[in-house]
Amino acid sequence: MRDSDRKRYLASLTDKLVNGQMGRRDFLRLAGKLGLGAGALGMGMHRSPYSFVPSAQAQEALQPSAETLKWVADVSKPFAGTTLKLATESTPPSNALNSQLKKYFEEASGIKVEIEVLPLEQVLQKLTLDVASSLGTYDLYYIDQSWAAAFNGDVFDPREQLQKADLAMPNYNIDDFLPALVDGVAMFDGTMVGVPYDIPIFIMIYRKDIYDELGLKAPATMAELLSNSKAISEAKGPEIAGIAGQMKSGHYSLECEWTSMLWGHGGSIFNPDGKFVGNDEQGIAAMEYWTELKKYMPAGVDGWTWDGQGQAVAQGVAASMLSWGEFFPYFDDPTQTKISGLCEVAVPPAAVSLRTKEQTGFGETPGVGHQGGSTLAVSKYSKNPDAAWIFMQWATSADTQALITALGGGTGPTRSSVYDDPRVKANARVGAGTTRHLPVVRETIANHMGSEPDLVEWAQISSDTIPVSLGKYFAGGYGSPKEAMDDIASQVDTILKG
Amino acid sequence: MHQSASTRTLRTIAGWVVVGLFFFPIYFWTSVAFRDAKDIFNWPPIFFDFSPTFKNFEQVFGISLGFGFGNQTAVTPGGGNFYMAPRLLDTIIVASFSTILAIVVATLAAYSLSRMTFRGRHDFVNWVLSTRMMPPVAVAIPMFFIFKQFNLLDTYTGVIVVHGIMNLPLAVLLLKSFFDDIPAEIDESALLDGASRWTIFRRIVLPMAKGGIAATAVLCFIFSWTEFLFVLTLTQTSIKTVPVVSSTFVTSIGTAWGNMAALGAAAIVPAFIVILLVQRHLVRGLTMGSLKQ
Repeated sequence: MRDSDRKRYLASLTDKLVNGQMGRRDFLRLAGKLGLGAGALGMGMHRSPYSFVPSAQAQEALQPSAETLKWVADVSKPFAGTTLKLATESTPPSNALNSQLKKYFEEASGIKVEIEVLPLEQVLQKLTLDVASSLGTYDLYYIDQSWAAAFNGDVFDPREQLQKADLAMPNYNIDDFLPALVDGVAMFDGTMVGVPYDIPIFIMIYRKDIYDELGLKAPATMAELLSNSKAISEAKGPEIAGIAGQMKSGHYSLECEWTSMLWGHGGSIFNPDGKFVGNDEQGIAAMEYWTELKKYMPAGVDGWTWDGQGQAVAQGVAASMLSWGEFFPYFDDPTQTKISGLCEVAVPPAAVSLRTKEQTGFGETPGVGHQGGSTLAVSKYSKNPDAAWIFMQWATSADTQALITALGGGTGPTRSSVYDDPRVKANARVGAGTTRHLPVVRETIANHMGSEPDLVEWAQISSDTIPVSLGKYFAGGYGSPKEAMDDIASQVDTILKG
Repeated sequence: MHQSASTRTLRTIAGWVVVGLFFFPIYFWTSVAFRDAKDIFNWPPIFFDFSPTFKNFEQVFGISLGFGFGNQTAVTPGGGNFYMAPRLLDTIIVASFSTILAIVVATLAAYSLSRMTFRGRHDFVNWVLSTRMMPPVAVAIPMFFIFKQFNLLDTYTGVIVVHGIMNLPLAVLLLKSFFDDIPAEIDESALLDGASRWTIFRRIVLPMAKGGIAATAVLCFIFSWTEFLFVLTLTQTSIKTVPVVSSTFVTSIGTAWGNMAALGAAAIVPAFIVILLVQRHLVRGLTMGSLKQ
């Protein structure tokens, strides 16, 4: 039996064991045939009650490549004893690295890695302080796509670092990163601000059982998204709403949802002259559509970020959402939600019309699949940039990313090859940490992805100016969508003028 | 004063309503800690009818029923790793030592301000008070640079010193008012009998101000226990206190409410124990000075 088939079969067996579809005796018998021997025998006794990843899989299939670790050991000798620090958002990849995987790197390299896991806004505060002081308290930066412009110049371009032949990981293959992500997440003004590290992206998640019951199909267009949501709300409301939103006033999540609506109606945030054009004809059409769609969202949606939105679907209060694909493995987890196995995914609905990148400003790329990716980069202020570069290559290598995806709860990989990795495909079944949504994530990245503009002021505009005014609009603070968008245009204008 | 039966009943009911208002949030938060994620968000809300689970405590404190104690490094569903037991210990260390530091310095300063006359004494009291007027966020960043220079970033010493300094003005002013309430004639009598200032302070005034010191210590402990900004700014990976790590339950794929509630519920316990330990002195301390002669 080929190694990949063996791993897949083992994953299937352990999945059945975990879900109670197979007895321990049968499992051990079949696992024994796979040659697991004593390692598997011990599994049942010592399996952590917390890990959703079956231990046999963790022990057998989910181990870093020996070849990669040998390279780490060889290249890290001069840096043994060094301590590296990284501040990162609490994302599935960072958590998987921190709690499961970095120990392999540390053992091989003798380099200690300290990962500080924080909410996103606290990461921004820490990085800003580090850059302003040039103290190099962190060796690696986790950079959200909306900060790329702000931290451009404070990190090394990985393409330059790859030129150091003595530190280059064999087969690192920087071209394996999905080109759309390199362009949309990492590139600013010709500089590569780190390599794509994670990729939360909007996909369509819907309750298949409710859709089937009402004879609906996954929405292929924005009009269908509205009509489906309306049909569900009318048939199942008020207990179940057609769709959930992330519409908390003043929160970045509101801006994320707005961009999806705007781009989906042929609008854009900026024009090629760098002028805010969310108040043009398409922008107003988007606002009118969104206002109508909100009627089919649960009460209280104005107070929800993506957290509340996800909870609404998880608890069966809403039948669909156009939101971060990262939520899908959580929905599939029977210990966490009441809808395990009931949801399906689809690419985002097609836009009414779509502007090209050339018709927008500041590198904005319209697409209904709003992306919120991030990069990992070595700080220019780091006192150990070479050691940090070694860690960064290992952490973003195809082998490590496959482990992150399998261990980290089905998060979307940023490398093309990882989507085809047997360890990742083995988890494509209903259950915790599923990867069965990843083909849709991959297609959305390739064909439906929308990226926000890159400009230094964007963090302020996207996290404050726009969501505060949109919140005011939905609270009835403006007379019309046009009035709201004109006000935003005027505020953005003032910010850009400095 | 005579009260009718209906008035007494109404007073009792009002009393229980007030107790309920304070107690309910603690009950609900604690009950969330014992729920599965799918039992936390329900409409209509569930207050009592849920199947209790220890899973959240197991994940946060590594206490595995049937599996003993240990560092739980496994990734939990959703990709988080929420083992926080060391952080609770960090918080206890920081709050305890910063309270001791603040109380030791403040009792000496407050006694001096209460009993000794020196030039600019009133200005000194005003200056102590003014240090509380500056918003913490205004000094957090300069402190970051200073602490980096002295290698105090991400250390117990650094955070203990900051929390001690932060609590000092309040402790000095409170203790000064407690010392003021102890008649100066007692000190004078002891001086006439040949006692030194230090003996008077240690043997006479301190025991008489025990209640006030206990009340001040509890306040210092609670302020340190709940402080967020300085710990966030001045620590990285080595130490963290409960308020700061609580925010790490907010992940990119939602908030781990059950785990957050488990840590929050557990974090009430040490503060509660401290209050119980000093309760005897606390009531007296909090009412000291309420009657003037």
